[in-house]
Amino acid sequence: MSLKSVLTVTTFGAAMLVAGASIAQQKPSPFDAVPDKMPFDIPYGAPIPLDQAEAAIGAAVAEAKKRGWKLNVTVVDSGGNLVAFQRMDGSQLASIAISEHKARAAVTFRRETKIFENAMHAGVNYVATLDGMIGSRGGIPLVVGGKMIGAIGCSGGTGSQDDVICQAGAAVVK
Amino acid sequence: MKTKQCLTLADVKKMAAACEAEAIKNKWDVVIAILDDGGHMLLLHRMDGTTPFNAQVAVEKGRSAAVSRRSTKSWEDRIAAGRNAVLNMPVLPIQGGIPIMYKGECLGGIGISGVQSHEDEQIAQAGLDALGA
Repeated sequence: MSLKSVLTVTTFGAAMLVAGASIAQQKPSPFDAVPDKMPFDIPYGAPIPLDQAEAAIGAAVAEAKKRGWKLNVTVVDSGGNLVAFQRMDGSQLASIAISEHKARAAVTFRRETKIFENAMHAGVNYVATLDGMIGSRGGIPLVVGGKMIGAIGCSGGTGSQDDVICQAGAAVVK
Repeated sequence: MKTKQCLTLADVKKMAAACEAEAIKNKWDVVIAILDDGGHMLLLHRMDGTTPFNAQVAVEKGRSAAVSRRSTKSWEDRIAAGRNAVLNMPVLPIQGGIPIMYKGECLGGIGISGVQSHEDEQIAQAGLDALGA
């Protein structure tokens, strides 16, 4: 390498550093804060037994029926695998996959999918790039004895309707 | 315009209960999947002790039977007879999935996975019988 080209590279590198520093000064990132504790640190437990999964779905479907709503309800285990599913009469087909996605996301991220919806509503758009996320409420982890044994996901109505039914199902898993 | 019959959640719960009873009678653990005539899932019931793999296979068997309007064994038999081109068809050609035929119409499919293939089909048949087809 000639002396001239070394100089050129050095000058270019220095210019990049200066540019980087000025960007950092202009826009401080709210994500630079480093919390002391892990968020949503729920340990994974044994997979949910079928009896409990069916009980959750039964309670969810009963609540939906009471309100005259038609939903799809999925329960997955602590590994995110399908355990039980029911589609209510006349509910929309897209929600078969969406209800499973919500349940799986609730398990794999160990949090309610509403957290993602809130984040996107607040303009935290990077969450949409996370693998397997879904930005809609209606997916809730099922936690028993401090351990997450699975999750329930509902879909077919508005997110708020889905979430109400989800909570009715999750409430019977203790 | 033609009108068609349609499975309700009550119907498929009754069928799944019959499948589960047949499985329990034989001390088998299986996954039961019931789908409508478009191949869309209506119910999934994964008995304790089965694998995530069984859940996927049961759904595929049921979907294959529903959309092809014939048992997955019939597809398996064609391959066994040397018709290897069937391997390229969009079905899972493994016994254990049957179409839900009711009054001459196909209303969906039942897929079972967990034990030997012919035993899976035996369980599926118990579910179909419960519909009174």
